[in-house]
Amino acid sequence: MDFGYTKEEEGFRERLGKFLDKELTEEIARQNWEDKGVGPEAREFSRKLAANGFLGMSWPKEYGGKGLSPTYDFILLDELGKRWGAHIPLDIGYTMVGHTIFHRGSEELQREFLPKIIRGEIEFCLGYTEPNAGSDLASMKIRAVEDGDDYIINGQKTFNTEAHYAECHWLAARTDFSPNIPKHKGISLFIVDMDSPGITIRPLWTMSGERTNEVFYEDVRVPKKRMVGEKNKGFYYMMEAIDSERNHVFTPARLLPLLKDLIRYVRETEFQGKRLAEDSLIQEQLAGAAIELEVAQVIAEHSRWMESHRVPMTYEPEITKIVVSELEQRLVDTGMQILGLYSQLEEGSKRAPLQGRIEWYFLHSFMTTIGAGTSEVGRNVIAQRGLGLPRS
Amino acid sequence: MDFNFSGEQKMLKESARSFLERECPKTLVREMEKDEKGYSPALWRKMADLGWMGIVFPEKYGGSEGDFLDLLVLLEEMGRACLTGPFFSTVVLGGLAILEAGKESQKKEFLTQIASGGKFLTLAHTEPATTQYDPYLITVKAQAERNDYLIDGIKLFVPDAHVANYLICVARTKGEEREKGGITLFLVDVQSPGIQWDLLKTVARDKQCEVIFHKTKVPQENLLGGLNEGGAILERLLQKAAVAKCAEMIGGAQFVLDMCVSYAKEREQFGRPIGTFQAVQHHCANMLIDIEGGRYITYKAAWMLSQSIPCTMQVAAAKAWVSEAYKRVVSLGHQVMAGTGYMEEHDMPLYSRRAKAAEFAYGGANFYRKVVAKEIGL
Repeated sequence: MDFGYTKEEEGFRERLGKFLDKELTEEIARQNWEDKGVGPEAREFSRKLAANGFLGMSWPKEYGGKGLSPTYDFILLDELGKRWGAHIPLDIGYTMVGHTIFHRGSEELQREFLPKIIRGEIEFCLGYTEPNAGSDLASMKIRAVEDGDDYIINGQKTFNTEAHYAECHWLAARTDFSPNIPKHKGISLFIVDMDSPGITIRPLWTMSGERTNEVFYEDVRVPKKRMVGEKNKGFYYMMEAIDSERNHVFTPARLLPLLKDLIRYVRETEFQGKRLAEDSLIQEQLAGAAIELEVAQVIAEHSRWMESHRVPMTYEPEITKIVVSELEQRLVDTGMQILGLYSQLEEGSKRAPLQGRIEWYFLHSFMTTIGAGTSEVGRNVIAQRGLGLPRS
Repeated sequence: MDFNFSGEQKMLKESARSFLERECPKTLVREMEKDEKGYSPALWRKMADLGWMGIVFPEKYGGSEGDFLDLLVLLEEMGRACLTGPFFSTVVLGGLAILEAGKESQKKEFLTQIASGGKFLTLAHTEPATTQYDPYLITVKAQAERNDYLIDGIKLFVPDAHVANYLICVARTKGEEREKGGITLFLVDVQSPGIQWDLLKTVARDKQCEVIFHKTKVPQENLLGGLNEGGAILERLLQKAAVAKCAEMIGGAQFVLDMCVSYAKEREQFGRPIGTFQAVQHHCANMLIDIEGGRYITYKAAWMLSQSIPCTMQVAAAKAWVSEAYKRVVSLGHQVMAGTGYMEEHDMPLYSRRAKAAEFAYGGANFYRKVVAKEIGL
């Protein structure tokens, strides 16, 4: 066993840390984490990350990467997370769909998209969820019908968060309509230009102020060569990618800034002439959170290690997701308990502590245990795939 | 980074599991709970012949030069099997203390005897005044008298003192009663006059004792480490003991989960296995989440200890997490096993009773949260 990083990895972390301290502004970090929409600042930051050699470490050389271990991308995520940058600026492309394009896409698709992804120049939007296909994703209805060299697509997606700034839609659509096949066997994946005629995007506003979207398809023409991998295998590709997605999205380090803010707050804030940091109940609560974060870190390191060493993953990234997301909620609650009346003050309000961050985090934290699959579905996966319990 | 056990560790794990399944069945565990000694001399002999007692000792003391992680691999299997007896007290508490702080002559004498299975040791540390765990709350005094020290006072929750040949007594030789400085460790022969012990009746039916020292004379050469320098030795020893206990607990917790999963697959209610119900599935998933987190933080802390990397935070996180995780695992386990697991003759209570004893050994979650609070600057 060895829980350390190599000298090269530590060197990368150090160089990256210095770069981020200089380049990653609060504005950029928040455009990302708070899903405010990746603006010009974050786009520029993304290109700089690539230009300075911090993107693409783990990607194949033929597309502009360095061919090294995925560990480097996880270090990148950790270092961003420590600085409020919860993910890589254009992260749907970089940490999610890019891997599937590489493993399953045609050479033509690889050549078209991978270099742009590695240069930090293109973003995708996941097009999975539909109004009647949430946890039961395979029951999606959007239809793609063959017509000459194209597919013609009709239907609706929802909660497609990046749709209003991404260049491409990573669309899952039904391509086999036979009633006799299991519903997950008739789905294919497409890369659709977001500005294709017939696509309408409507904003949906979440309770914490992020924009997500409904996306409507009306006779949208998509060339057949934009299908990813084989026809009707889309759902398998989605499931195949899900473990790596969880490893890349649920980064414990992103909770560190919140914990640090709370520690700073209790050290600076007094009650009756005594610092809150001396209150034993508050000490206990924050120490408990720090312990959970330490455990979450090693849980994440374990599933990342599996991915980096191509050890088949079954339920481990699901554990990472559940632990990180539920910890986020508990940490936010701990923060609110400590801030008390002040915890309700939002950013911009008079007397808001910690820039009102904790109020935003409270609202946002409802999403973390439902986004990318609910904790309940996650626990089913752990029980059935991890422990071999029978399906209900 | 590498989460794999080495090839040798895998072999050790497998052979320990099959050995203990064969030689330490639950019938023996129950018998030993009622037994006066609390261990089977025949089984002890066999374990010694396998080289388990000397696993972390240098070859020149009859050991096999393994490292702390190897010891943890064994302890995890022992926890799984509910092995009773003085292995932990002798090898972890006694052996590691002497390995860490002993003079050459002490190492030669004691480690060799531990490795051969010939002698039992334990640590006499906590006291009646330890109503809240505090490793440096030491009031038992040792006073110099010519070439000897005279030890006076009461130690409590001393594991396996009833069979030990030597006690490592943590005594105050200087300073106030909660000071880390001024603590000295003494190797005390239990045959010395003025030692009296009583068995406590505990939830785990393990053999924890009260030990009374009454002007017990200990020769100066039996100091373990320097005079007044016991605090630092104790700190490192207790870090290892806490992490070692975590490994034992994880082994037990894993057995509970395995037992629940196979029961949930077989037991039918409402015309189908209870394992098809999501409520039961989620209980099992929660147990697995707790165990995996506990296992990796335990081995991470152990690895850091073996590499001499400072790890106050990781040790604290491990024992705090595992103490509570094992508790949650056994209570979910009882929920899955329901009435059948509540029966005295079932295996479930063996684990829930042990989980409670282990929870507070070398500090529970409350104690380690205080440690962490300090670490994060509160």
